[in-house]
Amino acid sequence: MIQLYNICKSYSKDGTALEDVNLKIPKGDFVYITGPSGAGKSTLLKLLYVAERPTRGQILINGQNVTRMSVAKIPFLRRQLGIVFQDFKLINSRTIFENVAFPLEVRGRKRFEVGKKVYQVLKNVGLEHKLTKFPLQLSGGEQQRVAIARALVMEPLVLLADEPTGNLDLEVTLEIMDLFKGANARGTTVLLATHDREMMRRFPRRQICLENGRLTEDWIP
Amino acid sequence: MFGKLIYLIRRALRNMFQSPVLCIATVGTVTVSLCILTFFAIIVLNVQSMTRHWSQEVQVVAYLDEVPSAAQISALVQSAEALPEVVEVVYVTRQQAFAGFRDRLGDDALLLDGLDDDFLPASLRLTLHEEFRNRLGVEQVVGELKKTGGYSDFRYGQDWLDRFESLLNLLRIAGAVLGGFLLFAALFIVANTIKLTVYARREELEVMSLVGGTSMFIKSPFLIEGAVQGVVGGCLAISLSYLLFTAFLAGGLETLFLASGVAEIVFLPFFYQLLVLAAGILIGILGSLISLRKFVRI
Repeated sequence: MIQLYNICKSYSKDGTALEDVNLKIPKGDFVYITGPSGAGKSTLLKLLYVAERPTRGQILINGQNVTRMSVAKIPFLRRQLGIVFQDFKLINSRTIFENVAFPLEVRGRKRFEVGKKVYQVLKNVGLEHKLTKFPLQLSGGEQQRVAIARALVMEPLVLLADEPTGNLDLEVTLEIMDLFKGANARGTTVLLATHDREMMRRFPRRQICLENGRLTEDWIP
Repeated sequence: MFGKLIYLIRRALRNMFQSPVLCIATVGTVTVSLCILTFFAIIVLNVQSMTRHWSQEVQVVAYLDEVPSAAQISALVQSAEALPEVVEVVYVTRQQAFAGFRDRLGDDALLLDGLDDDFLPASLRLTLHEEFRNRLGVEQVVGELKKTGGYSDFRYGQDWLDRFESLLNLLRIAGAVLGGFLLFAALFIVANTIKLTVYARREELEVMSLVGGTSMFIKSPFLIEGAVQGVVGGCLAISLSYLLFTAFLAGGLETLFLASGVAEIVFLPFFYQLLVLAAGILIGILGSLISLRKFVRI
């Protein structure tokens, strides 16, 4: 599903964010990307959703070489991905319903289909009763559930999550992890960047450790 | 396709209603910018009509050697009328020339007492088509008349014509430079105001891009919004200009231009009003595009 060959990424002459990273993630895998702050976890995810381009190396996602992908094709790659951020990235001026409906509208889905799907996915994350609320009227955990619902509404091939539980307490973290596990059980490949050791202990999965931009450990339980 | 367009228009309108202050600011900026452009156009148009009026003075007077016979006169008039540059040919007899001279002298006409009324030469007065009322056109006509023969002298106010043409050229250059500058300034100001709107929605733009929105999908509502604001701004600018024109500008221009012999001061004709609207749409769309370039990179 995801293959990285000799990936290097540097933002300046001196600073290297990633160095010679080789990685293969099969379809349906659940992978933690761990490491201290500044290790290159976010950069790795940014390369996967093509917010950044590698300085060197090749990245294949579902058979497509994204390294040389034209700007016009990037949106179509992103439609196969679901992305979740630590700061949720919800549009505060839009209701929960509208936020989750966004990826469907982007694809030009019909209104009745949008309504049905959004309701269903919000029900899955337990927020179907709050669809007319605005993000700032919800708690942090609820906002993250909305962000996950938005990422899952199109049943993506790959779910990329960058520190999704960074700002949440343990109880909410467990709820969020249940959602990721559920998506993974339905066949979505999940890549989760985190440094939450407790979470990895409770839900042991394959762990890829980055340190100073290098892949230092690839552990499979 | 149609459904998608409706969706994009709905989103554009919704965005406008959601941030009314920024929307009003943009429409206001477009209005003021286009108002300045409209005033400039009104002045240019009226100056043009003034110069057109002045250009009517450009005539070729061809003096005849001898007093021609009726047949000769009709032949000369016909050959002059056949020239493509000429609109009208009037034969002025020696007596008519004398009477005209007497009229021009006014109170000093006494000076002419005792003189015969046939001491001035007869002439043909040629009025030219508007596009030939310039040095080149006049010289062309004179050249053709010289070939025909039978004329002793030609008068067409050479010095005046030179000065008139320099003035016209100056007005044209000044009009183009000032108009271009005003249009650019309007675009710059509107683009910066729209940038505020885009900046306020940068999170939305980022999210749209992350969930797979294409560049066109992301930009379209902003472009539609720019176009709508341009149309509204254009309509307001024309209405406001008309009000200000009737209240202040018409009076001011009248004292300036009527003294120069121009019949009436005119507001922007309908075609130019459409051009102002088109300029509004163009400024709105271009302003949005310029602002979006920085924020939408997919």
